[in-house]
Amino acid sequence: MIPAIGLLVGIVLGLLLQPTVPVWLQPYLPIAVVAALDAVFGAFRSVLDGLFNDRIFVISFLSNVLVAAVIVFLGDQLGVGSQMSTGVVVVLTMRIFANVAAIRRHLLKA
Amino acid sequence: MGSHSAPRRARPARTSAEARFRLRRTLSPQRSGTQVVITVLFIALGFTLTAAISGSANDSILANARQSDLVSLLDDLAQREARLQAENSRLENARETLLGGDEYAALNEAKRRADDLAVLAGSETIIGTGIQVSISGNLTASTLIDAIQELRDAGASAIQISDRGLAVRLVASSWFADSPSGITVSGTALQVPITISVIGDPSVLIPAIEIPGGLVDSVGSGGGEVEISESQNVDISAIVPLPNS
Repeated sequence: MIPAIGLLVGIVLGLLLQPTVPVWLQPYLPIAVVAALDAVFGAFRSVLDGLFNDRIFVISFLSNVLVAAVIVFLGDQLGVGSQMSTGVVVVLTMRIFANVAAIRRHLLKA
Repeated sequence: MGSHSAPRRARPARTSAEARFRLRRTLSPQRSGTQVVITVLFIALGFTLTAAISGSANDSILANARQSDLVSLLDDLAQREARLQAENSRLENARETLLGGDEYAALNEAKRRADDLAVLAGSETIIGTGIQVSISGNLTASTLIDAIQELRDAGASAIQISDRGLAVRLVASSWFADSPSGITVSGTALQVPITISVIGDPSVLIPAIEIPGGLVDSVGSGGGEVEISESQNVDISAIVPLPNS
């Protein structure tokens, strides 16, 4: 519950402060956000699977974000940045869909 | 992460009630170090989420465009700028001429153009250097059309066709038809012999009529006669009334 409140606090802070994203961060931020969302949905799924471990969640959250950013950075250096970020987003979105489907099966048995 | 390899065995919730209970238990407030860390992570997630959304909202079209698209866009803008600047300088020139130059320059220019157009439209009489072509004998409309075309190509500025009593000014909309006693020009029946009066340079106009297969040849082969005279004072008196607009 407290993390959910934290999410709301973060959103409100973002809306109030209207942060301007530094240019060098702009390609990575959306990818990092999607990666973090993937970690969050994965956490919900593992809760329902009885596998949730908060330490593992923190590590997977951070590594997810980091790996996604590094992959996009690598793509940028190789000159295929936009394709790479598209690929990362596609993969992460597929995982989010799979996790949501698992959560749905658990909660609704459907 | 749902798929991380935890050393524990998975114990999936057997019923949806159990699943909901697990969710509630996990979401209920707990005091632990990692809980704080997770909260901080979620604050950061919410913050970056809004930042990423508001960051992508402005000028996302240009930011997401490919380099080649941007180059062509820039090219487009440069071309448009050049075009507009050319038009700008043209208009400024015209403005300076109208403002700074001779006060009557613009008026004179307009008058000169009006005079030119009046000659072409046949709305004014005109006297000038040219030739007069008298044609007797058989004459068909198609022969006459060919001759008029030749004269126009040779630089005739005004043309009039007349018989003994009537005269018709030729303009862009004039037409010809054969009639029993001669030729009908734009609705006026003319009797042979007719005279074609042409304003223009005689040294160019006369060869245009005398070329092989031209007016002189075709009238001659039909048994008629063509007489060409050069004059400083070719009088074109017929006018075409301007339509009321």
